[in-house]
Amino acid sequence: MISADPGSFRDPASRVVFEGDRVLRLLDERGLEAWEHLEPSPFFGHAVESGRLIATTKLDNAPNGAAGALQHPRIPFVSYPYEWTFSMLRDAALLQLDLLADALASGITIKDATPFNIQFVDGSPLFIDIGSFEKYRDGEPWIGYRQFTRQFLFPLMLRAWAELPFQPWLRGDMEGPTAGEMKQILSGGKRMKPSSLMHVSLQAKMEERMSGASVRGDLKAAGFSADLILANVRKLRSLVESLHWDHGVEGWSDYHTCDHVGRDRKTKGEFLRDALGRSRPKRVIDLGANDGYFSTIAADTGALAIAVDGYEPVLEELYGRSQGKNISIVVSELTNPSPAQGWAGRERPALMERANPDHVIAYGVIHHLIYTASIPPAAVLEWLRSFDAPVALEYVSPDDEMVGKLTANKLEQELHPGRSEAEFRVLLDRAFDIRKEHVLEGGTRVLFDLVPR
Amino acid sequence: MIFGYLDAGSGSLILQAVLGGLAGIAVAFRAWKARMMGKKAIAKAETGAEPETVSDETAVNSES
Repeated sequence: MISADPGSFRDPASRVVFEGDRVLRLLDERGLEAWEHLEPSPFFGHAVESGRLIATTKLDNAPNGAAGALQHPRIPFVSYPYEWTFSMLRDAALLQLDLLADALASGITIKDATPFNIQFVDGSPLFIDIGSFEKYRDGEPWIGYRQFTRQFLFPLMLRAWAELPFQPWLRGDMEGPTAGEMKQILSGGKRMKPSSLMHVSLQAKMEERMSGASVRGDLKAAGFSADLILANVRKLRSLVESLHWDHGVEGWSDYHTCDHVGRDRKTKGEFLRDALGRSRPKRVIDLGANDGYFSTIAADTGALAIAVDGYEPVLEELYGRSQGKNISIVVSELTNPSPAQGWAGRERPALMERANPDHVIAYGVIHHLIYTASIPPAAVLEWLRSFDAPVALEYVSPDDEMVGKLTANKLEQELHPGRSEAEFRVLLDRAFDIRKEHVLEGGTRVLFDLVPR
Repeated sequence: MIFGYLDAGSGSLILQAVLGGLAGIAVAFRAWKARMMGKKAIAKAETGAEPETVSDETAVNSES
């Protein structure tokens, strides 16, 4: 049975469907023509071989009356730009520009420029939308330029030049900020940079003045050529490369220097290896992954580790160490994970729906949910049970030093019941069986290897 | 012409020529001039006056 990918419908020439475990791309006549131009080009073979473009094979018979059909390998875990770190979006932007430059050398263009066409596999960006490529016609401008600025360049500028996280913006408006909005955000000094004057201020002005005008024919007649696109792409590449974010080393970045973390880390790692050995999972979600120490242990067992944390700096560091590893990085608050959104509320599925883990790591996290976010312990356990998978859990008692810090300004009556170890075990017993437990040194923390009842 | 499912933005398209360097600025200027002449011709036709000779560039535009 064939089912349509709810996120692939905008381009009528090419749409993704699933047939069992197979990922197919169905093409209409125009899409097939574009593929037949792309496939024999030197660009295509080189881009696939270098791991920048998704592997693609043509099927002999196209289903559903399509003019042609292609098959791709399945992406292990799909993430979205509003879940990426700064460096991930920057690497994706550079890939987009490099592919366009290389494609143009083979007489091919990329008709859009959205990070939703890029996924991270084994810690590196991979361009997945074969349908974006088509033959370059002389005199045509780069149709994706404005989209590139809104979905790659401006979000990166937000962080690098205005110290604002781009993820909340892209999650709220997946089209990204407009040039006009960026002009309002950037301070005087940043707005006067030459690159800002061109890509932000001048684009905002020209978009305002020329809204709705048909100019593609004008440009062609005036002598527009691919060389102009290449010149623009080269300068954009330098600009993107120049954008940096110094996230500092504060808060959780110093996590591993905390007393209890250094003391307990080895024991927790061994307990986790033991639990994973019993469950033999294929997809592990690490809730509150921090620097990815436990995600790395899970990935080393051969599982895909999905490392989720709301604090971008720690994941930025993990990304720098994740190349070649089976770790997927997700910037998202656990108290407000990415929802299903886009067209009909189905275009971009919710984070937890995409994650679909068969093992959960919840180390060093539930006390933050209970004491910082005021989630009742019963609700935390209900949520963990909803994964319907084994859980490696670290319980932290009210007597723990960290809990003392988290509750320093809270009164007893402001805290939910179910926090003491005795009460917590009663709640635990309703949802899980305990396969194994271990009290950590200090006596205020207990590790549990849980299986759902 | 490439069929576009994406709204490229008219101002952003012209801007691309400018961003292409000196040669691009010349292209952008010619494209802008062609637009102005095209508008002038349309305005005259709408007011009943004889349109001025339409440039080659504008003639090409009408086919795009």
